[in-house]
Amino acid sequence: MTMNDAFDERLRAAFQAAQPGEDQADAFVKKVKAKMSSPMKKRVVILGGAGSTGSAIAGTQLESIFNAVQLPTEGWMASIATFASPEVMATSVLALMIGGFAFILPKRI
Amino acid sequence: MQASDEELVALVVATQDNNAFGELVRRHQGLIRGMMARMSRNRALAEDLAQDAFIRAFQKIGSFSGTGSFKSWLCKIAYNEFLMAARKRKATDKAMEKFRGEVDDTEMPRDMGNVVDLDRALATLKDDERTAVVLCYSCGMSHSEAAEATGMPLGTVKSHVNRGREKLKAFFETAEAVA
Repeated sequence: MTMNDAFDERLRAAFQAAQPGEDQADAFVKKVKAKMSSPMKKRVVILGGAGSTGSAIAGTQLESIFNAVQLPTEGWMASIATFASPEVMATSVLALMIGGFAFILPKRI
Repeated sequence: MQASDEELVALVVATQDNNAFGELVRRHQGLIRGMMARMSRNRALAEDLAQDAFIRAFQKIGSFSGTGSFKSWLCKIAYNEFLMAARKRKATDKAMEKFRGEVDDTEMPRDMGNVVDLDRALATLKDDERTAVVLCYSCGMSHSEAAEATGMPLGTVKSHVNRGREKLKAFFETAEAVA
């Protein structure tokens, strides 16, 4: 701790008096809040761009993968395979991936 | 009843509430801006550093353990921000030289005892002395808190504070005698 004599009190008071006044507080808070939101926007754009590019590249490969798969199936899996072409399946997976990015990006990790 | 700093911090951690953090900024802006102004001795730079310190605090708010006061935790972050800004200018010494050469004289002098400007008095201290004095007298940190914030040994902080205090006292006494 400091000494707490008369000079210490004067020094503390001088530091207190040298602080910017409350009248500028609102403007300062506004500036900080504006800065607080901009790094997040940048982060969303960068991560979103990278994620979408990756999803698009992966999506172009999915169709060939689904085309190559020939599994003997029964029941509801067989029904899905009947109605869903490889293109539809690839699009669904792609939509799920993009949806995942959209869900995760606004959150702070 | 007004929420305490710790309650607001809990709210920010739980909900990322910008308004709750805004209230913390409002409460402590004077302290951090004043601290940065005394440390950097440049008003425009101090404003930027103070804003960056609050942004950093927002990003790291989850690491506030609540063992000490929020004010001390914030001052520690602000001090680190000041150091990082100094390092960005290649070397701390060169940066301090730069700050030294950029004393802001556009402000009206704030007198201590109606005689001299506090900033001019602080300019007579060495960098470490000024840091220790500002943390202890402006931020209200204890010597151990200042030692933890700066990474200096406790004994060194005590010496810097005492030496700085004596220099300031001598400066003000001389100034008052001349006046």
